[in-house]
Amino acid sequence: MSCGNPVADADALMQRRKKYDKTKNCVKCKVAQGNLVIRHAVYCKECFLHLVVHKFRRALEPTVNPKPDGPRKTTLKPAGNLLVGFSGGLGSSVLLDLVHRCYIALDKSTMPTDGGSHHPRHERVWTRVIVCYVEVCDAFPGMKDRTEEIAKHMQRYEGLDFVSLRIQDAFDPSWWERMGGKPFTSELGVTLADEGLFLQALSSPSSDPLASLRTYLSSLPTPTAITTSVQTLTRLLLLHTALQTGSSHLVLGTSLTSLAVSLISGVAQGAGFNIREETQEEWVPEPEVSTSSADPSENAAGAKEEKQKSRKGKRTVRVVRPLRDVGMKECAAWAWWSGVPVIGKEKWGWAGAKPGIGTLTKDFIVGLEKDYPSTVSTIVRTCGKLAPKGDVSGSCILCGRPAQRGVQEWKTRISIHSRPPTQHPTAPNGSNGSAVETSPACAADPDSLRPSLTPYLCYACHTTLTSKSARPVPSPWPAVARASTVTLPVWAEARLSSAKGDGESTEHVHGEILQTRRVGQEEMKGIVNEFLLDD
Amino acid sequence: MPPRTCALCDDARAILKRPKTGQQICKECFFYVFETEVHNTITEARLFKRGDRVAIGASGGKDSTVLAHVMKTLNERYDYGLELFLLSIDEGITGYRDDSLETVKRNQQQYDMPLKILSYDELYGWTMDAIVSQVGKKNNCTFCGVFRRQALDRGAAILNVDHIVTGHNADDIAETVLMNIMRGDIARLGRCTSICTQGEDTIKRSKPFKYAYEKEIVMYAYFKKLDYFSTECIYSPDAYRGHARAFLKDLEAARPSAIIDIIHSGEAFEIKEDIKATQKLQQTCKRCGYMSSNELCKACTLLEGLERGMAQAAVTDRARKKMDAEGPAPENLRRIPLFKLPANLQANSNVDTGVR
Amino acid sequence: MSTLAVKVEFGGGLELLFSNERSHRVTIPALVPASPSTDDDAPKKPADLTYLIHWLKDNLLKERAELFVENGTVRPGILVLVNDADWELEGEGEYQLKEGDEIVFISTLHGG
Repeated sequence: MSCGNPVADADALMQRRKKYDKTKNCVKCKVAQGNLVIRHAVYCKECFLHLVVHKFRRALEPTVNPKPDGPRKTTLKPAGNLLVGFSGGLGSSVLLDLVHRCYIALDKSTMPTDGGSHHPRHERVWTRVIVCYVEVCDAFPGMKDRTEEIAKHMQRYEGLDFVSLRIQDAFDPSWWERMGGKPFTSELGVTLADEGLFLQALSSPSSDPLASLRTYLSSLPTPTAITTSVQTLTRLLLLHTALQTGSSHLVLGTSLTSLAVSLISGVAQGAGFNIREETQEEWVPEPEVSTSSADPSENAAGAKEEKQKSRKGKRTVRVVRPLRDVGMKECAAWAWWSGVPVIGKEKWGWAGAKPGIGTLTKDFIVGLEKDYPSTVSTIVRTCGKLAPKGDVSGSCILCGRPAQRGVQEWKTRISIHSRPPTQHPTAPNGSNGSAVETSPACAADPDSLRPSLTPYLCYACHTTLTSKSARPVPSPWPAVARASTVTLPVWAEARLSSAKGDGESTEHVHGEILQTRRVGQEEMKGIVNEFLLDD
Repeated sequence: MPPRTCALCDDARAILKRPKTGQQICKECFFYVFETEVHNTITEARLFKRGDRVAIGASGGKDSTVLAHVMKTLNERYDYGLELFLLSIDEGITGYRDDSLETVKRNQQQYDMPLKILSYDELYGWTMDAIVSQVGKKNNCTFCGVFRRQALDRGAAILNVDHIVTGHNADDIAETVLMNIMRGDIARLGRCTSICTQGEDTIKRSKPFKYAYEKEIVMYAYFKKLDYFSTECIYSPDAYRGHARAFLKDLEAARPSAIIDIIHSGEAFEIKEDIKATQKLQQTCKRCGYMSSNELCKACTLLEGLERGMAQAAVTDRARKKMDAEGPAPENLRRIPLFKLPANLQANSNVDTGVR
Repeated sequence: MSTLAVKVEFGGGLELLFSNERSHRVTIPALVPASPSTDDDAPKKPADLTYLIHWLKDNLLKERAELFVENGTVRPGILVLVNDADWELEGEGEYQLKEGDEIVFISTLHGG
């Protein structure tokens, strides 16, 4: 009922301000001529470079110790190594450079000036720093393989270990075992073409991870689903790599701008429950990965450390985005003035595909940022004030994030997808006339008896797998036959197979399945009874 | 291509593709799902009690015209036991409301519902035309929005109703979620997805079309042959909202469920406890008695600004301070009549309904 | 006709649109038509950054113009430096070019 008329003069509500306040001198040192405008404030080059280091440390260091925070000058003692997620893009190039300067090269210019040379921050914080690159070129047609270029880029930096993965590793059981995952045989697949997402035996289990990847992507209903899935696969590959390399922290090069984009894009894909994880998350693997098979290349101390940790119980990986206060423009200026080459990321797309929600959001936010430079920080600040509402029902089998309870009931109520066969549209709803207590009759249909992937999914991943476009979408791999049953990523297959075999550790998963079955049977019985009465 | 059968009843010929789900369905099934989803929304949120007096905020536009029809239909079909009224606000925009008020008057006869029309002129002594001639086309939406909200409550008090239902649809709510995140309006973000809002002592307000797509509302009106006026306000609203709406339309085109997914997101988070504690408490306006988060409610501030020829006062903090600096409001200032709750609400105004 | 020589650099992946060359020396007219016109007698104005952007698009750009210009200026997300200072400090597109200026265009759109 809004009076919304989108055609309007551009300045009506949020008044555009001059691009910078008052003078062209640096707001920090007040002396030097400004070189850069950041959200209306003018900085000279030198103050700006210090500011970025300061913002980076301020975002990362309070999260380093297992029990966060305390007074600022305590020694930083992380529980494990540091894994840097590297994409070749601007943000992660700046991140890697900062990590190297601050923690490996121990570049004096990045040190806090207060506290003298014995300041605890002048010591090495991380025993080992590992960089992980996930090559996604096999997910999209015609994309350039940058693995070698990235590996060469790594030679710029000493004291780093480099791990290179490919996106199809997510479908490779041997990669899973190398990561210390419990061996499994993939037997179950999911009917992605059917909204019911039924689990059924794979007719011919694929042994080729690349083929599995492409079948999976080709079976997704929208371009949004494809790009979001590639992002999720990448995230999980990084998380499992963090676990396997004994890393307690995974840092990502998400800038303030990209964080605002992923927050809005997450909201638009129904991931409001996980808005916190978009900024920072503690990830616990599920099912519990055995940590006995430590990386052989790792030194003895590391392996010992690892054993100690596995004895302590559940391992977690803390995901931190240390550039979350540094906008994209600041990243670009830092890279330019610090001489950091940016290899760049290729555009994700394929012939005939319309932009997905992620791309639309990025274009929208970047466009808005140009005219209203404070929008991105407002978005991030606002989302920082939010907490998830409602109960958690385990973690999502695909994305590993907490899943909200009751989302399927919500979806059924809000969008009716099937019609109860016994109810006539104009018939009044029985004798119970109160609008207050009646609840809608649920559609009872035999499909609700079949095991489905649905109860294992969070709202957003369920939407990714089931929500369709108004028009048919061209597949990135038209030549790949659309399989009726599709193999899932290895972590999902592993959890499904342990849910089948091993009862104890996966109780809640079983609960989910049984719960669905029970409701279905009751409804079924009700229908049968009525049928018998009529007979 | 052979005619498709309806994906829901598997019997009749499908004649439409449902914007919300993409399913191809027949006309009867469309009416069924559309109405049943609204019914689900009403029952799940326990919006009404038997015997409630409910005013439908009627503008003559598509949303409220369809809402009046659906409320009447559901009230009869499920025997809600509600007494329904139509309540219209005349903003005083020449050529804008005249036709649509005719639609409302026709609805009054068709549906046999009592109608109350309340004008800005009658309530505030200012028509929107007069306001625009003073403040110009910038920011006039602020005036219209604040004045309309209060006018609806006052009209409801005159009709002595317990509850106002408005035609806000899913697109409106999704857009508001995005807007509030982008503008950092944390208080509104916390409540904009609530189906029903009620301050300490105001009339309940709810949005039965919260999950209904704008496109489906139009489709429903089309198939039910309900006529309404599609008039766009001649005074341009704010551009920022325009950006948000265009963005939402792009998202919907990419994936139609986006609208409902945004609303789901909005329902899946809440303001952190420690931040909630810092939020302003509601009080009553010391001038007109309406609920307010400041000493003076927004409408009184706006009106004072208009009367004193400093209309920007309620729009920006700087202008407000300037007006305050010029001394207190003169005694003879025009005022909004004192707000009084309907008698039946005064008695139980402190009862927590449990619905937020 | 007098001309201006300026140094133009591309970074952050933008160089890919300009034959993968980061650094270019370009010579442009010192006075340009005040409004788009083919008439030689049309009123002139000193060449500004907006003119340079269009000149680069028409003369140096090899592919995908939409990644460089949008609505008559650089696409949102491109940082422009004029002699090492943010162009927002120099009046953006209205900045009047001088002999020997160094103009840098850096794309920020290459993701995280």
